[in-house]
Amino acid sequence: MANTNKMIFAMVAGILYVVFGILKMLEGLGIETGLAESLLIPGDFFGGFCFVVIGSVFLYAVKELSAGVHMGVSYVYVGILMSLVFMAVYLLVMGADLLMFYAVKSEDYEGWRIIDSMRPGIYLGLLSLIGYFSWKDRFTTEMTNV
Amino acid sequence: MEKKKITIALAGNPNVGKTTLFNAITGARQHVGNWPGVTVEKKTGKRTYKDTEVEVVDLPGTYSLTAYSLDEVVARDYVVEEKPDVVVQIVDATNLERNLYLTTQLMELGSKVVIALNMWDLAESRGDKIDTRKMEDFLEIPVVKTVANRAEGIDALLEEVVREADKGEHHEHEVSYGDDIEKKIIELEKIVGKDSALSGKYPVRWLSVKLLDGDENILEKIEGSSVATQVNSVLSAIKKEDYEAAMAEKRYETINTVLPQVCVKCVKEVTFSDMIDRVVTNKYLGIPVFLAMMWAAFEVTFTVATPLMEFVDMFFGWLAGVVAQSITNPVLGSLLGDGIVAGVGAVMIFLPNILLLFLMISLLEDSGYMARAAFVMDKLMYKIGLNGRSFIPLLMGFGCNVPAIMATRTIEDEKDRLVTILVNPFISCGARLPVYLMLAGAFFGRQAGTVIFGIYILGIIVAILSAKLIRGTVVKGKPSPFIMELPPYRLPTLKASAIHMWEKGSIYLKKAGTIILAGVVFVWLLSAIPAPGVDAAFASEEILGTEDSLVGVLGHIIEPLVAPLGFDWKVAVALVFGFIAKEIVIGSMGVLYGTGEDEDALAEILTAGSMTPLTALGLMVFTLLYAPCIACVGVVKKETGSWKWTLFMVAYGTTLAWIAAFLIFRIGTAIGWGL
Repeated sequence: MANTNKMIFAMVAGILYVVFGILKMLEGLGIETGLAESLLIPGDFFGGFCFVVIGSVFLYAVKELSAGVHMGVSYVYVGILMSLVFMAVYLLVMGADLLMFYAVKSEDYEGWRIIDSMRPGIYLGLLSLIGYFSWKDRFTTEMTNV
Repeated sequence: MEKKKITIALAGNPNVGKTTLFNAITGARQHVGNWPGVTVEKKTGKRTYKDTEVEVVDLPGTYSLTAYSLDEVVARDYVVEEKPDVVVQIVDATNLERNLYLTTQLMELGSKVVIALNMWDLAESRGDKIDTRKMEDFLEIPVVKTVANRAEGIDALLEEVVREADKGEHHEHEVSYGDDIEKKIIELEKIVGKDSALSGKYPVRWLSVKLLDGDENILEKIEGSSVATQVNSVLSAIKKEDYEAAMAEKRYETINTVLPQVCVKCVKEVTFSDMIDRVVTNKYLGIPVFLAMMWAAFEVTFTVATPLMEFVDMFFGWLAGVVAQSITNPVLGSLLGDGIVAGVGAVMIFLPNILLLFLMISLLEDSGYMARAAFVMDKLMYKIGLNGRSFIPLLMGFGCNVPAIMATRTIEDEKDRLVTILVNPFISCGARLPVYLMLAGAFFGRQAGTVIFGIYILGIIVAILSAKLIRGTVVKGKPSPFIMELPPYRLPTLKASAIHMWEKGSIYLKKAGTIILAGVVFVWLLSAIPAPGVDAAFASEEILGTEDSLVGVLGHIIEPLVAPLGFDWKVAVALVFGFIAKEIVIGSMGVLYGTGEDEDALAEILTAGSMTPLTALGLMVFTLLYAPCIACVGVVKKETGSWKWTLFMVAYGTTLAWIAAFLIFRIGTAIGWGL
């Protein structure tokens, strides 16, 4: 049951990260997806590639868990860690933007709003945060008891 | 009363915390990292404990006293030849079996040993119970629990060290190797014992064991002795590889007899390290995960630093204003304003990027992830003619190529090592970053980060392809196999990472205040001296940084060499002076284009017509690939011991840089990019 929950979580997170990653890559290549504005997706090829990698880690978890490999939970754990790392990176970028607007008062930042720096890495990271706090220590203890 | 003096050596396997313990004892701040091979030379420090002055020598990590790589030779030679009063062996409590292998060898050598049982808190937290009292009884060696990164157990350790040094009698311990090997040992002991020079210096049994172990260094010593023929006749009758393996097995047997009695592992649990390793060393996901982590590090380096750069820029802008207002003498004003503030300011503006880059690298190193990166890259490295061990020095090159080249000492195979040294300068060091930041920022706008990331990736690709080329041509041969221990993951502390960041960042600051300052003053001087035949005053406005100055003459001499790449004479001069230190490329451009420390003004001039995006890209690639700085060239000469290879590296890199920039400019122009 515990692994079923993790598998469902990994499937949802995996699909979301892969889809958002591909959208970012397409936007980065200059291909309009029509979703950039509504989903706050910037054009960023390498950033998109990283999302695809995170998504692949989650989907690998689904593959292993569905095959009955208990250690497949490792992929859920690392997927969560990676998405939290990227969430932290985008929060730092948002902090830098904040400084540019308030402290530096850069012309490039005229009319800047906090939403302008909101990235999928931040709101998708919230999902991982829930996963992290739900299963934190249980990841290893459950593995040990298998 | 005069203080007693003793010398202690800190020995141990790689990555057990020797340098951390050294820092804790001496109060020094040597660089530590959570991966093997950080210490490649011995370092010394001092500490007074009660009435004893203790000289502490931090040795590179070694798995045994049969040394294979250069750093292991440094450690082994010190223990064997210098004979410190006490050897403190730092033992990783989470990996007793492997660590005690070295202990058996130190015991055989007859060294006075004290064991610092380091990281015992980690061992306990995962359920291990280590009975140090029993351990002392079995090994007849004092054992002290330490946690080096929290400086715990240091005084107890020193107390034990001083007591051990004071002990008069000391006996050698023996590992029993079984009847057949013991017979050979006794036979060799009788022969070696006849040479008084050898037997007076080393324990005879130890020499005999090492001879059967196939220790090259001991074999060399025997070659020059009076008993060489007799020893060789004994050794030629045996299969050395079999003896070496059998002796290692016996040592492990001894350890495994002791181990269950001193250590009870209560729980065999799956650790977070096991879980993370399963993913980051995955055949398919390992390399993509590594690339993603590197991208995250670069994103922080480039984006988060932006407001901090603005603050530095504001400071130098203010300083330039103060200089302009308060210095009335035009020559002095120009030297300070157009030379020093402009040149150094143009470099200092990138300090936030440099510090953040080093912080990111430190975090990756300290967490233990870098060792995994080497592991996942091993297969690829082998294909190009290197092994995974070469990957760590290559990664270190992102910080600075000089220590990175020194770190190649951990590579056992000489050919692997030479190739790693020769391609290391292609890994883009922090000093080249200012050039990319300025040009990418000016010409590629919001895609600047992507372009710079691409330049770094290009450096890795060129290093890989060059290694393949060199391995297949001038340094032929197969790479040696790669064995490396993966350290446990540790949560990096902000303090430790900040110290590492500062250690490396302060080098950049020192460079800015010395070599870069001298370089930009020299460039200013050349740009202030009128060219022969030009009727103008020294440092006057009409000649400063123009074709009518001496630097203009020099630039025009070199210009034909770089004109096919789309570069003008000012860029040519900047690249020449970049040989002193790469940061000078930007400092010189600030002086030559007369924009001072103002990066935006320089960017404006360049984008207004002095350069196109194509030439900017070409210049970034040229800066990445051409001859490294003079310090790097010096260390390549030192480490290869050869001018031939040093000059090869300089010529190969510069030729490659020229060809790459030429192709970018010509192909780009032909297809209509960046015009």
